[in-house]
Amino acid sequence: MKFDVAVIGSGMSGLMASIYLAERGVSTAVVSRGNPICSISSGCIDIAGSGPDTLKAIDSFPGEHPYHKVGKEALLESIEYFQELMSKHGLEYDGDSRKNRSILTPIGKRRVTSLVPFTMKAAETADGDAFHIISFKDIKDFFPSYLTGRFPDAQVSVFDAGTHTTVGIATKMDNDDFLVSFVNWIREQEIARDKIAIPAILGITKTREIHDRLERDTGRTFFEIPTLPPSIPGLRLYRSLRKIAEGKGVSFFSSAEISDFGKERKKILGLTIKKPGRPDYVDAEAFILATGSFVSGGLFSDRNKFSETVFDIPVHSPAGEELFNEDFFKLGHPIEKSGIRVNDRFIPEDSEFENLFAAGSILAHSETMKYGCGHGMAISTGVAAAKHAEEYIR
Amino acid sequence: MIKTDVIIIGGGATGTGVARDLALRGIDHCLIEKKDLAAGATGACHGLLHSGGRYAVEDRESAVECIQENAILRRIGSKCVEQTEGLFVRLPGDTEEYRDLFLEGCHEAGIETELLNSSQALELVPNLNPNTTEAVKVPDASIDPFRLCMLNVESSKNSGGRVFTHHEVVDIVTHKGRCAGVRARDEFTSEIEEIQGKVIVNATGAWGDQIATMAGQEVQMSLSKGSLIIANHRLANMVLNRLRPAANGDIIVPNETVSLAGTTSIRVDNPENLCVEDSEISEIRSEAARMLPDFDGVRLVRSYTGVRPLLKAKDPSGGDRAITRGFRVVDHKNGLFSILGGKLTTYRLMAEKLTDAVMDHFGISVPCTTAELPLEGQEALSGYPISKRLRELEDMMCECELVPSSKVRQVIEEAGTRNISDIQHRTRLGMGPCQGGFCTYRALGLMQETGRMNPEEALDALRSFLQRRYKGTRSLLWGNQLREEQLVEGIYLSLLGMAEHEV
Repeated sequence: MKFDVAVIGSGMSGLMASIYLAERGVSTAVVSRGNPICSISSGCIDIAGSGPDTLKAIDSFPGEHPYHKVGKEALLESIEYFQELMSKHGLEYDGDSRKNRSILTPIGKRRVTSLVPFTMKAAETADGDAFHIISFKDIKDFFPSYLTGRFPDAQVSVFDAGTHTTVGIATKMDNDDFLVSFVNWIREQEIARDKIAIPAILGITKTREIHDRLERDTGRTFFEIPTLPPSIPGLRLYRSLRKIAEGKGVSFFSSAEISDFGKERKKILGLTIKKPGRPDYVDAEAFILATGSFVSGGLFSDRNKFSETVFDIPVHSPAGEELFNEDFFKLGHPIEKSGIRVNDRFIPEDSEFENLFAAGSILAHSETMKYGCGHGMAISTGVAAAKHAEEYIR
Repeated sequence: MIKTDVIIIGGGATGTGVARDLALRGIDHCLIEKKDLAAGATGACHGLLHSGGRYAVEDRESAVECIQENAILRRIGSKCVEQTEGLFVRLPGDTEEYRDLFLEGCHEAGIETELLNSSQALELVPNLNPNTTEAVKVPDASIDPFRLCMLNVESSKNSGGRVFTHHEVVDIVTHKGRCAGVRARDEFTSEIEEIQGKVIVNATGAWGDQIATMAGQEVQMSLSKGSLIIANHRLANMVLNRLRPAANGDIIVPNETVSLAGTTSIRVDNPENLCVEDSEISEIRSEAARMLPDFDGVRLVRSYTGVRPLLKAKDPSGGDRAITRGFRVVDHKNGLFSILGGKLTTYRLMAEKLTDAVMDHFGISVPCTTAELPLEGQEALSGYPISKRLRELEDMMCECELVPSSKVRQVIEEAGTRNISDIQHRTRLGMGPCQGGFCTYRALGLMQETGRMNPEEALDALRSFLQRRYKGTRSLLWGNQLREEQLVEGIYLSLLGMAEHEV
């Protein structure tokens, strides 16, 4: 099959790139091996740093950081673009990308992020602010006592959902009858506070409806606390972006292992996708590599030798340093600097190809955990790479 | 102030073995351990219940002890021994001469052997190196040292013995030149517990000299560090040894869902703060892969190291591998008895000999019955086959080792657990492929729900667990283990917000 652009990877950067291109009439394919990391993430959009001002934080990032190639203006635009897409889809993201805010984590700590899904909007409270906690009987990944230790005023009510996993409870919430019994149960509880904290289980597909109904019928404000993977807000984010992309005509090749690729001089011609029987061939004018870092499988480390797993293009790696910190809690192992170096058009510098662009956490020096720029970097470099790919094929 | 007859210092296999022996002989006692049970060499070994084959050529006396104790432990401890059997594998380059010496040594030590040709060996272990020349089958087995210690302590508790874990002996009290008791500090509260006793047993392994010194004595030992790696799969169902003189990386032991490979032998002066060198990992991995090629690509999830407290060599020229794995009971003639050397497989015999010496000292004659009576408390462990665990699938707290939260709750409530490693050792929670990445947060949550810990303590425990876990995996971060590590970091540092921020 022949496309204008083939995007490899269905994480944040790949999906954003594909949506951007499809909206401009570029025929686009997304080739992906499995579910991306964003589908198990907290669903929040980290943009930069842990201080109040994201743009100021970016000023302090080292010169090689991909954000400097994107530019602040383009970063803000791409985040706004993301917010618009999500709003139209019914999963609004709240917040101002120039600013950071904090949300509550399941151990009662605060974590800095920039944009949050509307279900976490009310999480930003002063530490003294009082809230009630609703939990679920024998739920596996949420223990209110981590929170009540830090917020001694918080009372806890426990609902028996008949299942113990977050995915199980969230799936039940999507069912109307179950939701009604849950709402009725809440109304019977003695709840002294206006605000209610709840583990992130407010449905997978009908979250807007569930959230609004809970607030309307109980007269309280609810906020979700993202739990351990599989974290439902991440799943919603991924499913929504994918739905948006499908709606705009992006073709998806899922569970697709790329076994080979064709090239001619400085051009990649197409991908061979392993399948039982005859393989699939995806040809395109341009390719966007958005396969992520080590954890996602875009990069692979064999002790001290690093490789890129699709095109085997050279991986930049830190030289002469210990690759890992001694302290688990110190952010930014030197190994996280490794990745693909790109030029100003997001074309890998060390590769021979002129029609290959790279985006997301596979980029060298992105160090997303250290710089608190995970999804923000993915969105902005995804859109930036897409722009350059579009320019290239025109 | 607690008064007792015998104070045992050290909660490894030997110390807990002495506690059980004293309990069965009706002697009042109390055991003090500075960390958790099996926290020293016992828990840092490969969990191999030796047939004695390893020592059949070079150390006949130990070989005889091993095969006798092997049979006893299979009998009395069926729920902590997995009767895997073992192979000594001869690869190209390993000599026929050694094989003959081995067969002869085993025969003389009373170790049953069966010589297998290459295809017979591959039938038993299909992923064995296909170039295997031949193999000798021996009665090796896999043993869970944590369970073993717990079951020993069970007998002690049943007879009224008291066990103080997380209590470090800071002082041995003497009266007119004789040991009269100890002072021990609680790791958590720093409170000092004073215990009076007529006899003190020093079963502290590599820490033996430190304890003896407190009583104005000294013991001579050679400390030899041995490192191991854990692979995330059970790669073979039998213990595999190399049929050649003892060397680095010549043992692979299946242990429930994972495989352990080791060891190395490096002389050290101090048993504290040891780490595994990259070179040790490379050597163990490549040697293990020679016997079992699958070891090459497998994900390694943890490395760890322990210290063998060996008897001082009579002839130091042979290196630590040549030192006997035998043991010695020392009566310091001031109320202190030390037990030196030995190994996990012979722990019961060591305890018996030491207890005999203590009984002699008291002038009481009660025979040892530890070899006849099954370990107490095994019933609770026994009904735990995989079919039963799977019934509670919905409620699984540790998915790797299939530990349901009901089981964890039971341990927390019954065992008075104050510490996450207590749960790990009793249930195997967190000991599988993800090494506690997911379930530790859950177990600590349960500790709070049951009122065992407050949130600050739980977070401290979580922090120290994560740092310890990281130390065990830091030198193995490549391939899929690196991916796993990045996932775990994402969870704890980012999602839960436990990172220290700089930017």
